[in-house]
Amino acid sequence: MTNLRTRYRRSALSAAAVGALTLLAGCAKDAPQDTFQPAGENAREINNLQRPPFMIAGVVLVIVIGVVFLCVIKFRDRGQVIPKQTHGKPALEIALTIIPALILIGIGIPTVKTLFDLAKTSDTQCVVNVTGQQWWWEYDYPVQPGCLPGGITQPIVTANQMVIPAGQHVLLRITSRDVIHSFWIPKLNGKRDAVPGRVHTLRMQADQPGMYLGQCTEFCGLSHAYMRMEAVALDAPGFSAWVTNQLAAYTPPPAGTPAADGEAVFLANCSRCHQVNGIAGSDGKPVIARPDLWVYSGATPNLTNLMTRTTFAGASFDLLTPDCRAKLVDAKSADFTALYLKGVEANCLDAVQLREWLRNPPGKKPMYTDATKLGPTNGKTRGMPNLGLSENQIDQIIAYLAERK
Amino acid sequence: MFTTGSKLFIGASALALAGTLIYSATQDSGAIGTLGLVSATIVLVFLMGINFWVRDSNVSSMDTPGIVACSAAHPAPGRSMWPMVAGLGSALVPVGLIVGKTITWIAVIVLMIATVEWMVQSWSERASSDAAYNAGIRKRILHPMELPVLGAIGLGMMIFSFSRIMLHLPSAAGAIVFGGIAATVLLFGALIAAKRQVGRSLVATLCAIGAVGLIGAGVASAVAGGRHIAKHELAQRTDSVDNCTGNESEADSHSSRAIAGKANLAGLIVLQGDKLYAEVIGINGRQDTLTLPRSTDSFFEFKNLDSGKHRLVADLGHEVVDPGTDKERKVPLILCTQAVGEGGKQFIVIKPPRPTSADQQYFFEVPGIDSKLKIEVP
Ligand code: HEC
Ligand SMILES: [Cu+2]
Repeated sequence: MTNLRTRYRRSALSAAAVGALTLLAGCAKDAPQDTFQPAGENAREINNLQRPPFMIAGVVLVIVIGVVFLCVIKFRDRGQVIPKQTHGKPALEIALTIIPALILIGIGIPTVKTLFDLAKTSDTQCVVNVTGQQWWWEYDYPVQPGCLPGGITQPIVTANQMVIPAGQHVLLRITSRDVIHSFWIPKLNGKRDAVPGRVHTLRMQADQPGMYLGQCTEFCGLSHAYMRMEAVALDAPGFSAWVTNQLAAYTPPPAGTPAADGEAVFLANCSRCHQVNGIAGSDGKPVIARPDLWVYSGATPNLTNLMTRTTFAGASFDLLTPDCRAKLVDAKSADFTALYLKGVEANCLDAVQLREWLRNPPGKKPMYTDATKLGPTNGKTRGMPNLGLSENQIDQIIAYLAERK
Repeated sequence: MFTTGSKLFIGASALALAGTLIYSATQDSGAIGTLGLVSATIVLVFLMGINFWVRDSNVSSMDTPGIVACSAAHPAPGRSMWPMVAGLGSALVPVGLIVGKTITWIAVIVLMIATVEWMVQSWSERASSDAAYNAGIRKRILHPMELPVLGAIGLGMMIFSFSRIMLHLPSAAGAIVFGGIAATVLLFGALIAAKRQVGRSLVATLCAIGAVGLIGAGVASAVAGGRHIAKHELAQRTDSVDNCTGNESEADSHSSRAIAGKANLAGLIVLQGDKLYAEVIGINGRQDTLTLPRSTDSFFEFKNLDSGKHRLVADLGHEVVDPGTDKERKVPLILCTQAVGEGGKQFIVIKPPRPTSADQQYFFEVPGIDSKLKIEVP
């Protein structure tokens, strides 16, 4: 008996603790992926839609629980005779059907309107192609008249951080190269699945420059948890500067520097998978990576401007030291653009993470790279394999990559 | 009176006793043998005694009511088809061994079914003196096996017959015939439901006639063979570059198959007034450049608004095959749709493996038309 009671009390306690924790987690002050703190018109529209039903539901909850308690207390068994039992009360039943119906209609009309608003594509000012694969996101900027006053005349490709012009109606065209993923930046809009062979659109608009976090929300295999994304909104001149920089011509490192050695190591070990735009082999011919021959999804992050983004490998690891990262994330929106455009400066580079990655990528982030188990993917890896680099080679590569801005 | 059982044991005991005597008389060494035979004799005599004493555990032959109620006495076994089926199975085995494996397997299965059914039937017929009860336990044991198998066979026959008939009839007639059959079934069903007094045997007869008709027609159609079904060419061809020219080929005359992907396309490609342009969600106006992610399936609809038949061709540069060997060669990467006439639509999927560069440019084009649509792959 006592045993049962302690057990009962213990489970009640743990249930209460879980409940309290859940409640407290809802109060987190610094929640970067909070859909209730919209930072753009689309997320705001969703938030505005969900608020009134929440309130109505709250009122309904109070009424129902109140009536239940009233009945439990007022009519509890005191040994009185059982009253006469009746069945059916048409007036009450009709009322109880009509009131919820009215509430549902009241919720339904704005819901449908919001759905249509959020599906609109005609007011697009800038298009970004978003492609998911295990386990990172690629962003490319198609040739188009929008985004910039002069439009985008040469396509741009980047990874992990999606840079968009603040204030503009950006339209994402989302697809996938392997399995289904889902794209969600809670502060900017709802989520959209990335499905191979299909192009799904998603509106994106950020009021202010800043960094908005998200993560893949469709379980997509081993490193699903490491498949994050960061939307970076820049002011108009800043976005223009970013575009110009992404398209800048490649300057090989001066001969004799560690970076030049790093380029050679890169050409020998990395170029088969990773593209650095403009890089040339010893014969002077441009080197085009063929990730489609080595990697199951057929793509790897383009490393031309690695140090203009501040995270890598599915936006899971920082290129910035924690201090510099905090400075960037907490920057006021007026200062954010300038700070972001600096990229990863030498004094801010957190080489430890990158070094760990290059030493053993699947050790840092679980990926399918075991050469003996690649039968199902015809010998292609899902993720980056361990290339057995020496510490010296890693130093040289980091010196080379540090200049990719 | 000696009972049957005790007669057997009397004989056996006498034999054992005689054996013991002969053995002990003729073999001078062999205590074990003698011991064994003596033991056997004792046991047999004992069993004989018991059988004699309990009269084979049978009801007394004087006890008439007992004999009447005895399970073995009643009722007489009914007719059974299983010996015949078992005979058929046994006869089929040698036939199968000569003709082929399938028949052997069928024979074995038939034999197995016959054995199980026969065993259960004869066992159940002796279970008690109550025939209804006996039939009941037979059902309880065998129905869970029989009904699914019979159901599957019945359903299989029906599906087989239906499908053969449908394949045999011209495609338009199929709808009419089966609409008619469905209406007839509905009509009979309604009539039977309305007239409760319709006899069971009448319904059974109707069903039997229907079943025989269906199976007969099915077998007849199967023998007569299916109608000619035109083969549709694939909408998109990658097999040979020669197919992607302005010339019409055999396949183009069956380009009835229009479009498979209807939504969430990467874009729409239109040929109008000798100009090729693209429409892409999110980018206003007609585009003459398309940017696509590499190594990704991109689905397009091609729409021909010009007179005459045209096909869309995707020129994705070339692939170097066997690089570094003396067989190294460039193979063009070209895909195309079928040629469609004015207003026609086609569907094409492309997956450019490499980014575009100064010496690798990709295009959508239409043979015989100058206008090209540039594909950028970053
Ligand atoms: C077999 C193909 C392959 C080779 C060879 C390869 N990588 Fe990778 N690499 C990948 C893949 C795939 C990813 C994406 C992993 C992820 O984020 O899940 C990646 C990611 C990276 C990243 C993170 C980039 C980002 O923005 O997220 C860096 C940096 C990197 N690789 C550097 C290198 C270097 C340096 C070499 C040569 C020493 C190299 N890689 C060789 C396949 C390869
Ligand atoms: Cu994912």
